[in-house]
Amino acid sequence: MDKKYGVYICTGCGIGDSLDVDGLCATVKKARKTAKTHPFLCGQDGVAMLKKDISDEGVNTLTIAACSRRVNFDIFRFDGCIVDRVNLREQVVWSHPKGDKSLEINHTQMLANDYLKMGMVRVEKVQLPEPYKLENFSRKILVIGGGVTGISAALDAAKVGYDVTIVEKEANLGGYAAKMRKQLPVNQPYTSLIPPMIADKIREVGSFANITVKTNTVVARIAGQPGEFTVTMKKPGETLEFDVPFPLPPEMRVDASGKELDKDKQNELYKEFNTGKNDILSLDPNGELFGAVVLAAGWRPYLPASGEFAHLGYGSIADVVTNHQFEEIAAKGKILRPSDGKEAQSVVFIQSPGQGDDKDFAYTGSVTSLVALKQAKYVREDYQDGKAYIFYQHIKTPGLQEHFYKSIQQDAGIFLTKGEVISVSKSGSGLIVEADNTLLGEKIQVKADMVVLGTGMVPATVDDPVINLAYRQGPGFRDNAIFNGYADSNFICFPYETQRTGVYAAGCIRRGLTIDESMEDAAGAALKAIQCIESTNRGVAVHPRSGDMSFPDFFFQRCTQCKRCTEECPFGALDDDEKGTPKPNPTRCRRCGTCMGACPERIIGFADYNVDSVGSMVKAIDVPSTDDFDDPPMRILGLVCENDAYPAIDIAGLNRLQFSADVRLIPIRCLGSLNVIWVKEALSKGMDGVFVLGCKHGDDYQCHFVKGSELASIRMKKIGEALTSLALEVERVAQFEIAIDEFDKVPTIINDFVKLVTDMGPNPLKGF
Amino acid sequence: MSDAYLVEPDMGFIKEVAALGGGDLKKCYQCATCSVVCPISPDNKPFPRKEMIAASWGLKDKLVGNADIWLCHNCGDCSTRCPRGAKPGDVLSAIRAYAITEYAIPKALGKAVNDPKKLPILLGIPVVIFIVLGLITGLLDFTPDGDQIVHSHFFSSWLVDMIMVPLSIWAATIFALGLKRFLADIHANALQEGKTDKKTIDPLEFGKAFLRIIPTILKHDKFNECTENRERSTAHMMVLFGFIGLFVVTSIFFVVLYIFQIHGPYSQLNPVKWLANISGIALVIGSVLMIKNRISQKDSVSNYKDWSLLGLALGLGLTGMLTEMTRLGELAGASYALYFIHLIFVFCLFAYLPFSKLAHLVYRTVAMTYTEYANRKW
Repeated sequence: MDKKYGVYICTGCGIGDSLDVDGLCATVKKARKTAKTHPFLCGQDGVAMLKKDISDEGVNTLTIAACSRRVNFDIFRFDGCIVDRVNLREQVVWSHPKGDKSLEINHTQMLANDYLKMGMVRVEKVQLPEPYKLENFSRKILVIGGGVTGISAALDAAKVGYDVTIVEKEANLGGYAAKMRKQLPVNQPYTSLIPPMIADKIREVGSFANITVKTNTVVARIAGQPGEFTVTMKKPGETLEFDVPFPLPPEMRVDASGKELDKDKQNELYKEFNTGKNDILSLDPNGELFGAVVLAAGWRPYLPASGEFAHLGYGSIADVVTNHQFEEIAAKGKILRPSDGKEAQSVVFIQSPGQGDDKDFAYTGSVTSLVALKQAKYVREDYQDGKAYIFYQHIKTPGLQEHFYKSIQQDAGIFLTKGEVISVSKSGSGLIVEADNTLLGEKIQVKADMVVLGTGMVPATVDDPVINLAYRQGPGFRDNAIFNGYADSNFICFPYETQRTGVYAAGCIRRGLTIDESMEDAAGAALKAIQCIESTNRGVAVHPRSGDMSFPDFFFQRCTQCKRCTEECPFGALDDDEKGTPKPNPTRCRRCGTCMGACPERIIGFADYNVDSVGSMVKAIDVPSTDDFDDPPMRILGLVCENDAYPAIDIAGLNRLQFSADVRLIPIRCLGSLNVIWVKEALSKGMDGVFVLGCKHGDDYQCHFVKGSELASIRMKKIGEALTSLALEVERVAQFEIAIDEFDKVPTIINDFVKLVTDMGPNPLKGF
Repeated sequence: MSDAYLVEPDMGFIKEVAALGGGDLKKCYQCATCSVVCPISPDNKPFPRKEMIAASWGLKDKLVGNADIWLCHNCGDCSTRCPRGAKPGDVLSAIRAYAITEYAIPKALGKAVNDPKKLPILLGIPVVIFIVLGLITGLLDFTPDGDQIVHSHFFSSWLVDMIMVPLSIWAATIFALGLKRFLADIHANALQEGKTDKKTIDPLEFGKAFLRIIPTILKHDKFNECTENRERSTAHMMVLFGFIGLFVVTSIFFVVLYIFQIHGPYSQLNPVKWLANISGIALVIGSVLMIKNRISQKDSVSNYKDWSLLGLALGLGLTGMLTEMTRLGELAGASYALYFIHLIFVFCLFAYLPFSKLAHLVYRTVAMTYTEYANRKW
């Protein structure tokens, strides 16, 4: 497109009071562009002016110097136009003192000037993105798992008109919900148990023509990308050539001495390792096309290993069972002891294995507490004088289930106490449970006919990848251990999202849930699947950059096949061929730019965000030297994550928190997209320090793109080594963590770093 | 490490405590807000949190013989602040009512005292005794003569004392029997729960502790620490002093009658008579105030055991005062009738004292004495 530039400076919100607007206009003029000012640019009048310029003057590339890009984004969005927002309000006038013209150095004015220049240069370097369109687009939704979650998701999607296929590995639909005696309440007043709802749900499935049910079926492979997944199905246990291949395990990639094998050798081993299976890049001609996947594969009951929980008598005493085994007994009829078939009138429920630890059993959650309450009620239903004891470290009954807890408490025959169970032993034909540190204030013993361990619900993804994705990074979710094997990416911020775009997890594969919660979860995942399909169809990103039309573009001629992009992509969006050339799958991509940050050849970029666009902004920064001033101010570059750090800085400005005017901030999509060339450029042009500001990383990461800040920290460490070789202090480059709500830390982080750099003195390369 | 305590919940106990006004006890989720807000709970092993779980687990033996339930004055601070509406104050009150019936023999009578359906029978007993005994002995004269109203002409003082003296002995005996077990139980409980520094009960030291605790009781020191129900302290004090005053008056007139052979009615100018009138008025006002407090109190429940006691106190005071006033007003028929009713109340007071809520007079005093004796910081 032929760019016609327009620069607009808003003088409202204190900008005009603090800055020399004429000076800014002169800067624009120097760049051979015209500037227009307006006292209230986001108002009707101001927007009308912009629209008039767009329609009458043909302006299509706008640099709007006003408030932060995080506000009024809808007002300053013009179809077919490139828009850059220069943040003069939050990050200049609100967070810095009024510019003083009488001083030799007007720091605030210089800051505004630089930002304006950076904004103008950025729009020169970027293009308007165009949507990526698929060739074989499918709107169908694949639901893996025919339990209450899968069925609910299928029904929800079918009701709004989507074709759904449910695959269920067992012979019948229903899953665990069909095997219970009773279920927890789902409606007000949430006080009593109800018959399982699953039978009605299964019946409802039959009434939808757009739901296909495939029982005795599992997924052999899901190839391709969202919008055009090619799915191969099979009977459980069957072997097909379209079974998914597994990547070479790390120990097979090295030789006996621990040195990494060369590419060809690894390829050879990989083929050997996956004999009889087609490579991920070969599509099953008989595969069925789907647009998105709802993963509702559920859970299996935890099976204690032999000798595990020996102190609780599990394995050695027949009347000590898990909650799953107890449910099976209860579903059959009256609760009878497994050992002799006698009535179990007194049952102890143990919620924590104890032994000095207050942790609950593995893979448990609030549902486990609720199940104990439910099963205690079974005892009371079956026997008039029945007694049920619950020893817990935590009773978790969230939301309205608190009413259920309260109703259970009211039962005269149900006794609850926090406490650590020390032992379960035989006494005559019964059992004695001994517990310490109870609320009753001493070590106590209880006589029981049966003991029930509140063991957990193991998500299916612990045993098996389940989704069997034909992705180069492997068939399952990567690094799933940090989620304990649950199919998750970050359940607090992004429920239903997994680490694979187009695959949405719901139900107990995500975390232990009640039937009520599973049904709600199913609706969420179904909506996500629909969002994915529709976004893919429009050629835009699903999440978290919903609606982003850009996608990474590769300049393959210069690719050295180093595979870094394929390996570092947090979402497995890239597959590579035998030679190692990456094959992009744009609809798998979340547009974080991690590949762009990883690429040593800098051949990956987006239409509106690339190595050059950010690099040019860095170059646009004025670095004053002793030629300009006797005591030139420091210039420090801050590359800040636009998801957490940038908003935190805006909020700091909103709260009028002040920080150094020597810092120039550039928002980047994710710290994962940080290309070290920007740091090198900044330092080589004489800037005195560079910091990157992003979210927390590690097991409890806060990154929108899972690994961004972690990858950045690795790259920054490496850059440190390069600095030493340039005789620059490693300390001139730093990475800091901030969460979106930690705006109060912004001044300290920035000012402390500025002080550190100032104390080190100016960059020796300055002025060269 | 101590031996483990074998827990055997008594579901019947839970139901009985619920019926006695502790119906919300199972709502407790052991947050211990009650123990924190209670102004009079000891720092070491504070109540009522531990009593709440013992109650919801039906652990009768941990509660009935536990002195702590008597240290509670039912201020109601705990019930007001309880986030679950478990009303610990009322639960302890119900447990106390249960404990009273446990220690008073015969148990059947204790049950009857707490059963509104048995009230007509309990009231009928004195009527029958008065009439039968009065007619047999001839000491009851339904047609008293003379211009002056003299109550003993109608209901002979001999008859009164023939009934009331044995009755007070009966009450004292029942208390004595109950207290023997009670004291042993609370000591055993205190030993088990580490609430005492004494191994045995030394009668002399115990007596000294009793003397030390008397001012606390009379001044209502503990009661005054309550915030929620502060006004009740004054009302309670009026009732207590009313009873003490009337007890003193009765004792003096007993001596006057039997030793100095002077028959009533006595002059209104007599200082003893002043004390009698002031005490009577205090009793009436005090019980009216307590009834008013209970009616306006929203955070706690009042049930039969509470109302029957307040009814008794008010009835005693009111009939006593009215008897005197009608006598002075020369309404002979009304005065005799009121005197008869008054005597029914007096009978109930003595006969049912060890079984009713009023027994707290004895149990709480002993429990407070024990706590003082045991050196428990309170």
